[in-house]
Amino acid sequence: MTGRDSGRKAPALERLLLAPYTAWASLFILVPLAFIAYYAFTDNNFNFTLDNVLKFFTATSQVTNEAGQTQEVFTYLLIFWRSLKLAIISTIICLLIGYPMAYIMARASSRVQKTMVTLIMIPMWMNFLIRTYAWMTILQDTGIFNGLLDMIGLGPVHIIGTEAAVVIGMVYDYLPHMVIPIYSVMAKMDNRLLEAAQDLGCNNAQVLRRVVWPLSLPGVFSGINMVLIPSISTFYISQKLGNGKFFLIGDAIEGQYIANNLHFAAAIAFIMMIILLVGMAFMRKLAGRHVQGGV
Amino acid sequence: MKRASKIYTALVMVFLFAPIAILLLFSFNESKSLSVFAGFSLKWYQELFRDGDTLESVKNTLILACSASAIATVMGTAASVGINKLRNKYVRASYDTVTNIPMTNPDIITGISLMLMFVFIGTRLGRSSSLSFWTLLISHVTFCLPYVILQVLPKLRQMDPSLPEAAMDLGCTPMQAFFKAVLPEIMPGIVTGMIMAFTMSLDDFVISYFTQGSGFQTLPIRIYGMTKKTVTPKMYALSTIIFFVILTLLLISNLTDEDGGKGSRRKAADAERARRARRILVPAAATVIIGLMVVLIVTGSGRTLTLNVYNWGEYISDGSEGSLDTIAEFEKWYEETYGVPVKVNYDTFASNEDMFAKLSGGAVAYDVVIPSDYTIARMLENDMLLPLNYSNIPNFQYIGEDFRNLYYDPENQYTVPYTYGIVGVIYNANVVDEADVGGWDLMWNEKYAGSILTFNNSRDAFGTAMYKLGLDVNTTDRAVWDRAAQELLAQKPILYGQVMDEIYNTMAAGEAAVATYYAGDYFTMVDSQADHVDLQFYYPERTNYFVDAMCIPTCCQNQELAEIFINFMLSREVAIANAEYIYYACPNSLVVEDEEYIEDMGEEAMEILYPEMESFREAYNTYAYRNLDPDTLGYISSLWEEIKIN
Repeated sequence: MTGRDSGRKAPALERLLLAPYTAWASLFILVPLAFIAYYAFTDNNFNFTLDNVLKFFTATSQVTNEAGQTQEVFTYLLIFWRSLKLAIISTIICLLIGYPMAYIMARASSRVQKTMVTLIMIPMWMNFLIRTYAWMTILQDTGIFNGLLDMIGLGPVHIIGTEAAVVIGMVYDYLPHMVIPIYSVMAKMDNRLLEAAQDLGCNNAQVLRRVVWPLSLPGVFSGINMVLIPSISTFYISQKLGNGKFFLIGDAIEGQYIANNLHFAAAIAFIMMIILLVGMAFMRKLAGRHVQGGV
Repeated sequence: MKRASKIYTALVMVFLFAPIAILLLFSFNESKSLSVFAGFSLKWYQELFRDGDTLESVKNTLILACSASAIATVMGTAASVGINKLRNKYVRASYDTVTNIPMTNPDIITGISLMLMFVFIGTRLGRSSSLSFWTLLISHVTFCLPYVILQVLPKLRQMDPSLPEAAMDLGCTPMQAFFKAVLPEIMPGIVTGMIMAFTMSLDDFVISYFTQGSGFQTLPIRIYGMTKKTVTPKMYALSTIIFFVILTLLLISNLTDEDGGKGSRRKAADAERARRARRILVPAAATVIIGLMVVLIVTGSGRTLTLNVYNWGEYISDGSEGSLDTIAEFEKWYEETYGVPVKVNYDTFASNEDMFAKLSGGAVAYDVVIPSDYTIARMLENDMLLPLNYSNIPNFQYIGEDFRNLYYDPENQYTVPYTYGIVGVIYNANVVDEADVGGWDLMWNEKYAGSILTFNNSRDAFGTAMYKLGLDVNTTDRAVWDRAAQELLAQKPILYGQVMDEIYNTMAAGEAAVATYYAGDYFTMVDSQADHVDLQFYYPERTNYFVDAMCIPTCCQNQELAEIFINFMLSREVAIANAEYIYYACPNSLVVEDEEYIEDMGEEAMEILYPEMESFREAYNTYAYRNLDPDTLGYISSLWEEIKIN
């Protein structure tokens, strides 16, 4: 009886607690999105227009491919596709490196766990522009990495200015974003479940595949989200490690902003936002189904 | 298995800490280079502690991260409790969706969307600047909130819901029940959320880039501003210090934790002590943060005059390497002369276009800006500059005849020249044949494929192609721009890269052999070149001449103070310090006629910076960039995009 009683009293207080966030989220999350849409669909005089959005889909450029042939391509679709491709590659690599790392961490003693979490987080406390700068020193043709290769008698590898350098930069910067969410899900996993699986005759690989992997999926999805999203839109990494030879969607938005084409910058941002929101919602739905199926 | 895990962990750690090792190493470098180690020295640490502006930006970054994460933690925790109690499934789902938006939106979108809103509202309210510390704080709180909520909410859901009810049955008010029963349960989530929010705020660059106002510059923006001049090992020294501070803090916290592991009774006592400590610590931290913010507001609105200056990164003598700290000198001199303290907020931008975009939208307000000629013309066309009262700038008399009444300001009513220069070609004489040297052709020479660097900004890059072909860099004829674009496209396959400040390290290390940049910067590269590199310099026959000048934008709050500042920059000692620091040519006769300056610079530098010519004015009028109409600018930017994606 008392339980229901307090349950009835509580909402007033709780609504009060929720009020500041409701106001904040509407004002500073939802309204700004409306502004992006507003700018995307208006011209410099704030008259309605579809030009900006259409330009994203229709603008074309001549591109010469490696064979020397010239092709007509859709400028912004190509830029978006290239950004997405690099981001997906980086995300996959982050997952491949990060998943075992998170697993090892979750299996360790609690003291080691704590130390490792902090070790993974420390680089993020150092400015990311400076860390990216340091990668230039490592990856240059005459840099540290090639110096080490040289010492063991391997030829120099040209990395800086290539896709590989940009991907290394992204993986480096966002690896912690992958490890931490997966680890926090795995750390909460009930050890007895794994033991039970082993008792029931699973070998290590089977335990991993049948118990650990499905249970860790929420962490995996949130890790993918946290790596994919920032790596799609980065413009500093591509500028510095790509020697300015890569032009990604983040560069395009920043470029339009600098060129004072706010409305077109907003249009690119708007379209990218829609694509990502739909993509992520789809993924979350998928994740939801998987998680239910797994448990 | 155990062993394999250890090796694997070690490899990942090597990957994560390799750049940090580099930072550490090069912070002790004797030369300015970030890629050639010249010898051990502590000078960058001394430099760092003499650099008030950088230290201030560190302080700003910390104030911001502390206040944003504190506000987000309190609001987010309250919100989580509220969301957790929501009954309606759909209301709950919509809260989840909204909370997830800042996580699924790239930060560039969050940044732009907030900026658009602030600027839109700010201009409608008639504010001289829409962006400020507050807009930056709001933006940071906004993207920090989800990290807190997503950490706290699961803890609430795991908690036994009867816990607060039991507390209330025992006579607690709902408030007491929350603080005594709920809060301790969800504390780990709150702490993790707060740490994540703090980390994200500390590391953020993109959102700050779009929402930062004048007078409160954070470290990442300061570093980004170093895009024309170079990032110095000073920044590495700073990172090294941050690294060791964190390491020490973590070690201390780990050591205190360790005591708890001995014996369960002690553990319980410790847990109780920790809980009590937390109860004191959290309010204490909140008090400190609120205190900091109050100090900030009070100092911001006190009787002190403020002057907001907007300049290129590394474009003023700032006290480093034994130079004069001109800003500090001004503050001191002003207070001595006028008896009123003045605080100069010195912010930096990365390019003319970056500065123009921020200023023209009314996003930021400054009292003094130092753009280049063609951008000054653009600002004048948009009525963005105030006419100067030259009676407050008597030192203008020392500006050479050649640098007055130039095309961008024909009656000289708006500007005072700061520096000037010429674009030249830099090459490594150990790689490039003497026979190939001369003209712009070297930049297109296939022999040096993969070793050529050009500008990563459209105006300067197009300039190189147009001077090469003898085209007019200020034409509105699209066919001419197309022709130049063809030339740049032909050059693209043989480029090492399109860069700005990366040029210093790349050329000094011998990575690339040919580059084009602004004359004075060549000496910075020579100073740190590797042993096997021999950098040389020449001017092509046709090339860009530029003037950067001080001017006062219409958003200026205190014109007289701004003029006094401009005048001070022209005084002998200060102007010489700036000229020697920036290493560009100086239009001030007090400087160029000064024996000591000429001696300090040396013969070679004087020859390159001040080449003999019949008339600077004539060359300048022929080759300087002029402002172009918006249509042509738009066309150039689409051509530039085409070049970039190829």
